[in-house]
Amino acid sequence: MNAFMALSKKEVQQMAREYKILWLPIVFILLGLTQPIMMYYLPVILQSAGGIEGITIDPTMAKPVGQEVLASTLNSQFDQLGIIILVVATMSIIQGEKANGMMAFILTRPVSISSYLNSKIIIHYILAVICIALGYWVSYGYSAYLFTTVPVPQAMWALAFYCVWLLFIITFVTMMSTFFNSPAFIALISIVSLLICRFVAGLHPFIDIINPASNSMYATSMLMSGDVDSWVGINIVVTLLLVVLMMITMQSFIAKKKF
Amino acid sequence: MRLEIKNITKRFKQKTAVNDFSMVIDANECVGLIGPNGAGKSTLIQIIADILNADKGEILLDGQKISSIKNQIGYLPQYPNFFSWMTAFETLSFMGTLSGIAKSELQKEIPLLLEKVGLGKEANSHVGTFSGGMKQRLGIAQALLHKPALMIMDEPVSALDPIGRREVLNLLKGIKKETTVLISTHILSDAEEICERFVMIKNGHKIEDATKSELLKRHQESAIFIMIRKADYQWLTMLEHLPYVKKIESCGNGFKIHVENLETDANRLIQHGLDSKVMFTKFEVGIQDNLEEIFLELVV
Repeated sequence: MNAFMALSKKEVQQMAREYKILWLPIVFILLGLTQPIMMYYLPVILQSAGGIEGITIDPTMAKPVGQEVLASTLNSQFDQLGIIILVVATMSIIQGEKANGMMAFILTRPVSISSYLNSKIIIHYILAVICIALGYWVSYGYSAYLFTTVPVPQAMWALAFYCVWLLFIITFVTMMSTFFNSPAFIALISIVSLLICRFVAGLHPFIDIINPASNSMYATSMLMSGDVDSWVGINIVVTLLLVVLMMITMQSFIAKKKF
Repeated sequence: MRLEIKNITKRFKQKTAVNDFSMVIDANECVGLIGPNGAGKSTLIQIIADILNADKGEILLDGQKISSIKNQIGYLPQYPNFFSWMTAFETLSFMGTLSGIAKSELQKEIPLLLEKVGLGKEANSHVGTFSGGMKQRLGIAQALLHKPALMIMDEPVSALDPIGRREVLNLLKGIKKETTVLISTHILSDAEEICERFVMIKNGHKIEDATKSELLKRHQESAIFIMIRKADYQWLTMLEHLPYVKKIESCGNGFKIHVENLETDANRLIQHGLDSKVMFTKFEVGIQDNLEEIFLELVV
């Protein structure tokens, strides 16, 4: 436990010295801002930026409600650019210390592999949750200001579902970082796999049960309808099991010293 | 602590780095692991430090698996690497906490230890600004911090300047009294200074395991070294015909005379010389190679 605390403290310090603790939240706040502002001003921009010949902007078009805006923040900002940024920010989580020998060095001390891995995953997960939450509430505020207000419990539940998907993202990137040695390759394979997961979500009910990205979908439907599939519980359990499985895999990979 | 290395074999893709290597190091013994570059020293050290897994064999420390008593081991890697954003103090404090040392004790011990390895003034400098030698010193401090019973050091002094070398060697002389020490090096004079026993490794095989005096004795030549005046060189031609002289070779300013039995023949030789009115300027019985030469002889 002592070692776990020391390692976690070191992770936080490292994030602070690398300013990750600063820029990552800022990026997500900007991402959260973009969606409501864009949706609000898009008709205006289109109108004034010319090229309106042949295009009619339906003046009777229903103004989207806050729920829709917030949902599209999750769908089209966080689940796309957000994932890419998160992957790039976490890709060298293990790989960096593998490359400079610090991991092997730390493990010569009486430190268990699990406390080493857990400290990394937990701290990075907390940072990711903070970033997403900040971006989300900024988006919430602007949606409420420019469109309509979303009930807070509904928004909270949606965020909670999204955080389950987030846990999968961080653990997955950590696992790739444990397996491979090239940061570019880690980033590529993580981004591709995670985006595929996200795009596949909603295609088939069976895939949805085992797909961790379904949690992001549940977040959306929670916002839109205030209600979710009854499958959601199973899906969360499956996602958590996958996370545990990945942790065990990483642990045995490091224990066999294949790095 | 008694370290037992039993039949360790480690294979990398094409190369066998360590091949069926066994040895025992008794408590408080200081052993030098000596070998040329690429002999398998670092691989063996890393296996002992539980960084690499051996394909075969096991390593026991007082009968226990090393992975269960990491607290008892101080390890210095060949190129110690630390987080460049940490200061020297923070680094030691971090490594110390991982070893399970209480915070109050760390506050007390670290300044003393930094002073001991010659980094007293650099306690609050970032490791990123350190030179290779300073990192090495910090590495040594890190290995000493938790007062281990077994120290494993991979080339501890190779990267240091002569002053640093001296300081570190003196430091090691201090700790070896109560610690089992295993040092790998390719610089013999360093090992010679602190180690009583040498294990030589070549191509992953153990080729020699002896104390310093044994090693020197074993490699003693039965030869006599003489220096005589130029005027007496003629005498040497007479020597060649003596029955007990096997060979004469010129060596530096003098000559090496190989004989059959060192002691009796030395007497006979000096008598013969005196009878022939030869003036000896130097007469040395039994030529000892220094360790460097023995090393070269063994590994080349």
